[in-house]
Amino acid sequence: MATLLYSANLNDCIARWREEGLMVFGPATTGGVSGFQEVKDAGSLDLDLILTRSTLKELFFPRTEPMLGYRIGKQQIETEEFRPPEGRRIIFGVRPCDAAGMQVDDALFDWDYHDEYWFRRRDSSVIVSIACTHADDFCMCTSLNLSPDSTKGSDVLLRPLLAGNGWQVEALTERGENALASISSLLKEGGDPTAPVADVPVKFDLEACRSWLADPENFESRFWKEISERCIGCGSCTYLCPTCHCFDIQDEGDTYKGIRRKNWDSCSFSLFTMHTSGHNPRATQSARWRQRIMHKFNYFSLKFNVNSCTGCGRCTRECPVDMGVTETLQAISTLQR
Amino acid sequence: MSIQEHYRSRAKELLSAGTVKMVIGYGAGSTPDRRRPVFITSPDEADRLVLDTTCRTNLSGYLLREGLLSDQKQVAVFLTVDGIRSLNVLAAESQLDTSQVLVFGFGIEGDQARAIEGERAADFKSVIAAAKEQRKSQPADELQEKLEAMTPKERFSFWEGEFSRCIKCYACRQACPMCWCRRCVVDNNQPQWVNTSSHTLGNLEWNLLRAFHLAGRCVECGNCSRACPADIPLHLLNRRMADEVQASFDHYPGMDEAQEPVLASFRKDDPETFIL
Ligand code: SF4
Ligand code: SF4
Ligand code: SF4
Ligand code: SF4
Ligand code: SF4
Repeated sequence: MATLLYSANLNDCIARWREEGLMVFGPATTGGVSGFQEVKDAGSLDLDLILTRSTLKELFFPRTEPMLGYRIGKQQIETEEFRPPEGRRIIFGVRPCDAAGMQVDDALFDWDYHDEYWFRRRDSSVIVSIACTHADDFCMCTSLNLSPDSTKGSDVLLRPLLAGNGWQVEALTERGENALASISSLLKEGGDPTAPVADVPVKFDLEACRSWLADPENFESRFWKEISERCIGCGSCTYLCPTCHCFDIQDEGDTYKGIRRKNWDSCSFSLFTMHTSGHNPRATQSARWRQRIMHKFNYFSLKFNVNSCTGCGRCTRECPVDMGVTETLQAISTLQR
Repeated sequence: MSIQEHYRSRAKELLSAGTVKMVIGYGAGSTPDRRRPVFITSPDEADRLVLDTTCRTNLSGYLLREGLLSDQKQVAVFLTVDGIRSLNVLAAESQLDTSQVLVFGFGIEGDQARAIEGERAADFKSVIAAAKEQRKSQPADELQEKLEAMTPKERFSFWEGEFSRCIKCYACRQACPMCWCRRCVVDNNQPQWVNTSSHTLGNLEWNLLRAFHLAGRCVECGNCSRACPADIPLHLLNRRMADEVQASFDHYPGMDEAQEPVLASFRKDDPETFIL
């Protein structure tokens, strides 16, 4: 016997969680663009989407975030430290690749510095993931040693029932168990069969790629220029990526008042490594693309023993010129042979 | 011979003879319905070129790649009428020399791609003139009419809502052939003229600034809207600006390379309705 949640009870679950003061987030669509939004009822959720356009990371690492404020008066100076908002949250209907992505970034944000802005939100959130029964041409979690029902980064994993009327429920962490305890009367016991997970073919040989990338000989390879010739250097592949985490700290304001903010940044931009002298060590777009691949599959993997990519495929899906990491790693795989 | 075969053999011919050093065109993409820009430099690669109704990207921006045209050699590029107009604007703004560019012109009509006669930017004058006339009689689309009917306040909140989704990736700028500045004003941080933050004010500043910089220069190719990951209907802003410059100055950007940019030129008969 397994624990089941029937779709018919989802609305009551959301109501129960909200009564307990939890905010409930899930995949929803506004202005034609899907992302994770706060929802009040099950009807607002878009659970049939393979993946949302924007990623889960926005809930932990917003596009722009105030950190400090100042105001200079005639007699005094006032300063203010902005803290991430308080409040516990349930994030329902996350895909396993996005959940795994948050765990990848945990390593980064707790490395030389423990980033409160990230961890306050992480520590007050419960991630309820749903295993994928559908995938599209861009999905490639299996190439990154993950799977459509991976449990990495999730507090609860739901497996869709074959009949399409609910999910089999599995708590993975204490936080997950607590979230389920508050809806226990809405959960049922049953032996309903679950639907098979999506078939996601492996697209490249990750280990072969990693050893090619780790070889210093290949840093200056012509390959980089050829593969990235059409890249226009928009940052959308990095901004839509669940694991990209680069940010810039900017002061906005004037002599009398202002705010210091943490804003997204991207290695695809020419300004990213520009020195004050005017020299740019990554002067070309191909050097920037190399950085993106090297960072994700070489430097990050060596440092944290995990790749900074979970195979969600967004970088290819949304690239205006049809690039993305998949093609580059596929090409590197073939260079091996 | 299909248009695709026609241009493949023309590309082979030009590359074999050494007339052009590169053909910038479209090739197969990562899925059957996708096309991507390709850069062909040898005759035996010419069979990778694809031309059909899915080829939408305006490729003229790639001509500005650093160093590409600095050796005085010629490059051939696939362009629609919009693309040829952007080529003319780039030449008018001294960004390239059209004598180095060979045009593989094409148009998309219904479910077919058709070749347009001509090979030099100047050969397409009458086609561009016809496009100008056609634009005058083109009806506004539904959303545009809705916007026109709104009060300024309603319109402002419409755009505020749209821009709130902007993630400041600058894909619109990077995809736009007319955004050729080596250093964009938003990338100037000493001083920082425009907020880099993706909050309401920062997003408004960015999107309005770009719309104004494109006034009288945008050729309505749609690259920006197609590239925007937030699906912001940027073409509506551009279109409104284009309507304005056409109505006030009878200016249709990209007529030819001698055309003066509307905001950088002065004529005695300019209406000057905004000067008291
Ligand atoms: S790979 Fe594509 S999405 Fe990424 S910066 Fe280049 S053009 Fe933009
Ligand atoms: S690199 Fe691409 S596939 Fe990998 S996590 Fe980022 S967006 Fe997804
Ligand atoms: S790929 Fe680039 S933007 Fe993404 S995390 Fe690495 S350095 Fe930052
Ligand atoms: S603003 Fe948009 S439509 Fe106008 S030229 Fe640039 S990319 Fe094309
Ligand atoms: S492409 Fe869209 S999301 Fe990106 S900066 Fe431009 S308007 Fe904003």
